[in-house]
Amino acid sequence: MVLIALAFAVFASALPGFTTPFSLFAIGRQIGIDTMIGLAMMAVIVTGGLDLSVGAIGVSAAMVFGWLCERLGLPLAVSIPGALLFGALLGAINGYTVVRSGVHSFIITLASMSIFFGVMIFLTKAEAFRGLPPEVAGLGRLKLGGKVSALLAVSLAACVALSVFYRFTTLGRRMLAAGANPRAAEISGVRTGRMIIACHALTGALAALAGLMVTARTGAAVPSMAGQLGQDWLLPAFLAPVLGGTLLSGGRVAVFGTLLGAAFVNVITSGLLQLRVGEFWIQACLGLILLAAVLADRGRHTILRRRGLV
Amino acid sequence: MTAALEVLHASKSFPGVKALDDVSLTLQPGSIHALLGENGAGKSTLIKIVTGLHRPDAGEVRLNGQAVGFANPRQAVAAGIGAVHQERNLVTRFSIGENIMLERLGAHALSPIDYGQIHAEAAKWLALLDLYIDPRRPVSSLSVAQMQLVEIGKALALQTRVLLLDEPTASLTPNESQVLFGILRRLRDDGVAIVFVSHKLEEVFDLCDTVTVLRDGRNACSGVPLKDLDRQAVVKMMIGRDERIAKRAPRPRAETAPYLELKNVATSAGHRDISFSVRPGEIIGLYGLVGAGRSELAKAILGQIRRTGGEIRVAGKPAAIASPADALHKYGIGYVSEDRKQEGLILLHSVLGNAGITVWRRLSNALGFLRDRTIIDHTAPVLRQLEVKTPSVYQTIGNLSGGNQQKVSVAKWIAAGVKLLIIDEPTVGIDIKTKAYLHDLIHDLAEQGTAILLITSDMPEMVDVADHILVMSGFAIKGEVENDRNYERVSQAIMGFIHDNASTGAAA
Amino acid sequence: MNDSKLTRAFDNDWIGPALVSLVAIAAISALQPSFLSSFNILVLLSAIAVNMLIALGQLVIIAVGQMNLALGSIGGLVAISFAAMMEIWHLPPLVAMGGGLAIGVIAGMASGFVIARTGISAFIITLAGLQIFKGINLGITEAQPFYGVPQSVKDFGNVALAGPIPWLVLPMVAAAVFMWVLFNRLRIGRYILAIGGNRNAAELSGINLDTTVIWAHALSGLLAAGAGMMLVARLQIGHPAIGEDWLISSFAAPVIGGAILSGGHVSVVGTFFGVVIIAIITQALVLFAIDPFVVQIVLGALILWAVGINRLREMRVARAKA
Repeated sequence: MVLIALAFAVFASALPGFTTPFSLFAIGRQIGIDTMIGLAMMAVIVTGGLDLSVGAIGVSAAMVFGWLCERLGLPLAVSIPGALLFGALLGAINGYTVVRSGVHSFIITLASMSIFFGVMIFLTKAEAFRGLPPEVAGLGRLKLGGKVSALLAVSLAACVALSVFYRFTTLGRRMLAAGANPRAAEISGVRTGRMIIACHALTGALAALAGLMVTARTGAAVPSMAGQLGQDWLLPAFLAPVLGGTLLSGGRVAVFGTLLGAAFVNVITSGLLQLRVGEFWIQACLGLILLAAVLADRGRHTILRRRGLV
Repeated sequence: MTAALEVLHASKSFPGVKALDDVSLTLQPGSIHALLGENGAGKSTLIKIVTGLHRPDAGEVRLNGQAVGFANPRQAVAAGIGAVHQERNLVTRFSIGENIMLERLGAHALSPIDYGQIHAEAAKWLALLDLYIDPRRPVSSLSVAQMQLVEIGKALALQTRVLLLDEPTASLTPNESQVLFGILRRLRDDGVAIVFVSHKLEEVFDLCDTVTVLRDGRNACSGVPLKDLDRQAVVKMMIGRDERIAKRAPRPRAETAPYLELKNVATSAGHRDISFSVRPGEIIGLYGLVGAGRSELAKAILGQIRRTGGEIRVAGKPAAIASPADALHKYGIGYVSEDRKQEGLILLHSVLGNAGITVWRRLSNALGFLRDRTIIDHTAPVLRQLEVKTPSVYQTIGNLSGGNQQKVSVAKWIAAGVKLLIIDEPTVGIDIKTKAYLHDLIHDLAEQGTAILLITSDMPEMVDVADHILVMSGFAIKGEVENDRNYERVSQAIMGFIHDNASTGAAA
Repeated sequence: MNDSKLTRAFDNDWIGPALVSLVAIAAISALQPSFLSSFNILVLLSAIAVNMLIALGQLVIIAVGQMNLALGSIGGLVAISFAAMMEIWHLPPLVAMGGGLAIGVIAGMASGFVIARTGISAFIITLAGLQIFKGINLGITEAQPFYGVPQSVKDFGNVALAGPIPWLVLPMVAAAVFMWVLFNRLRIGRYILAIGGNRNAAELSGINLDTTVIWAHALSGLLAAGAGMMLVARLQIGHPAIGEDWLISSFAAPVIGGAILSGGHVSVVGTFFGVVIIAIITQALVLFAIDPFVVQIVLGALILWAVGINRLREMRVARAKA
């Protein structure tokens, strides 16, 4: 938090263009999207696993959304839940395969990322859905209170909902228990296998939501919005939760930390951009930030271990 | 004569526990030294210090009179200290010979390996151990006993002068153990200093020359010749009091209908023809040595291990328990695991998160929501009743002492109000006071009508707590003993059943 | 041990994939005779050569029980550095090649060093590495290819050595033979497998875990560098996108070849047939004019299939023991 404020202050004072309403709006919108991607990955990191296919699921869900709206002419009230359900379904398939095969989620989701993305491209012929209802693009442009992106508000709402979920619902608590120590949770009457599937499904739904948010920003459902195989989402997906303090070994989440992590990354990125650091070098910087973040995570973990918690 | 290995005044603390407090150990070359102590007395910590896995907070380790400080296991190995740990440390896909010679496959990283020479060299060490098997065979094709010998061979191949064996006979049959002892005696006569850790006192008296006993992280004795001691004296040093204790009067067997009944149960883990029953208010003890199949039976009751035959009845009706969740929610069966850290508790989570895990489902409202307050209301009385010492219920449970952790892992089942509680080695690594407290607690639970299945390999505990004792060995029930609290009689009856099994060579 | 020779042969890692390759070749050439044309074989072998190095680069990391997401980005970085050294500094190809290999080794060692010293999962470190190397790549090229690749290099990537066999096969054979020797005959290779097979045992046996892990990553970087430069020769330009699509196939081939992902068991020959299968399928889809994106689906399905097969075989081994 202090870091973000500091970075923000530095850039704000150094760059006159940094605090213009438009700049803030653009940063906020991107923070909103990155947060959602990060939350999606966080939901599966809870289990100590990961999901390489978040990008592929996000894009696929966005394309399903486009298809429901544009081809079938369904109202948003149907097509949005439809897309989210579709994402959850894909996630559940991942989870089911992981649980049944006993193979690490890395290799399963590596394969499913390829399959989901391949099927999506095959079915859409790599064509975008551009004739979406104007409300979609409108949401992407919507400024609440004249400054704040509606997408950021969506992510904030998701953060609140997830915090409540993990703290005040049986399902959320069980997910955390199953993630922290599957064997102990199982013996205490938690159905660990189902929890892992549920975590993957939640990841899928959140990834789908992130896909819809990107669609809202561009005003169209574009198959290439997350890069080849959806790989472009991988870095934000891990950066935000890890920076935010989610334990990679599972069992502990930091929902608002993920939001702060995404905020930190975007403030730095846009600051560097406006300082005219080449766009490409920023990618390398992001890699370095991730490295620094995991080193910090490791430090925390070592402290936890010294205190006998792991 | 210079001692082969000395540990002088070593202390080691872990968060919340002082594992070793001013402990000394002296090993003479050409002798077999027993290291004894109850679970949690500090034996493993001492071994880990000698083998370079831990560094002592205070005190020193001397090898042939020279002070040494090992930063990692490699240095200990290089100094000639070999260890055979409880878990097997072999690369199972590699050949026997390659495992034995793993340290010396070649002079440098890129040297080509001469397998002919390696296997010839390995064969020499195997022959020394009377193990005439082809060193080219993969380790994965060996029996557990053979793997153990291969590990000893591997240690010897490194010019080991100090050999530590941690519970080497835990998974061996008596015949295999005798073969091992013959080899150890021969090594002793060749001048090797051997440390032998075992729970089986008969073996210790049979094999060892001197003994060091640890209790609660301190020396109960150090380097005493075993011929000066008798069994009673050793046991007294280990548990700090006389072995025979019969505080509680024997309880008459309940006449109520059984809560849990097993009829000719067989499992995929290898159990066969298991039949017994547990009535409400009754404490049934299940005695057996490590590897007898007791915890596996508990897991079969919980549905984690597949039942391949027979019938399990709960409260008189046939029960199909598919998972621990079924066991808890449908049949009111709970299980306190022997492995507190891996299976009992979620160390990363709070006291509340652990104590309440069994009741979340029951306490949540229709939408699956629940509040901390509700859980606290439900679990706090139990935590208070069990005198769990914690600054607050939000304290991370990993920060509590072992005794308090164990209380929480029992408390969660009491909070869930289970009808049958399976308790597996409840007092391993627990201090004496909490141990006595837990015994009282088990008793009180039974008095209140809970059916209890107590699994333990701690004989005094078994005699002190159980009403009726089943003896398990080789995944089968070998006999039953009515517990009249007469330690001599009951323990001999139990050992008789185990020995009977052992002499037929049927142990797994 | 009542196994007959035959069943034992089928337990071998590479028999299955080899049979699948043969059947696939027979089936496809029956349907489409041009599959066995000398031009097509040349194309096929070139693809196999490059992909074999990529797969071996991942194989050595799988052997030690880790994964390397940065493989492609190291290959890409080396590819553009190799082209840049020849175009901008006019270095002779062999010198540039030496430089490229050095970059690959250094990049790999850097990942290995951080992983070994911090104990953080290789996944996350190599993900950061992926981003860093990719960023440097794009920072240097600004996403524009280098075109000034000397003719000799272009020839190496496109001219046949003899008949339908391309020059590119030479580095592949060298790498494959070396890796086979490494895993079967060299101390460092056995140590890599020992760590992957049982980390505890390896440590207690006095194997230096850190050094061995760093070596494995250095070797992985070296192989990625080789593959990157072979692609420069083949494509005739130093394209910044080289390496972007390596990730999936780098895992698919070793897994099809029977590698166990938790480490300790790999097969170089099996991996070779894994590469062959992937190349044949890719090529066949082109020949039958099927949407190239189907390749992605097939690759993903192949990984799942191979994981399933390996799992079954493991269970059989476990049952045979019990």
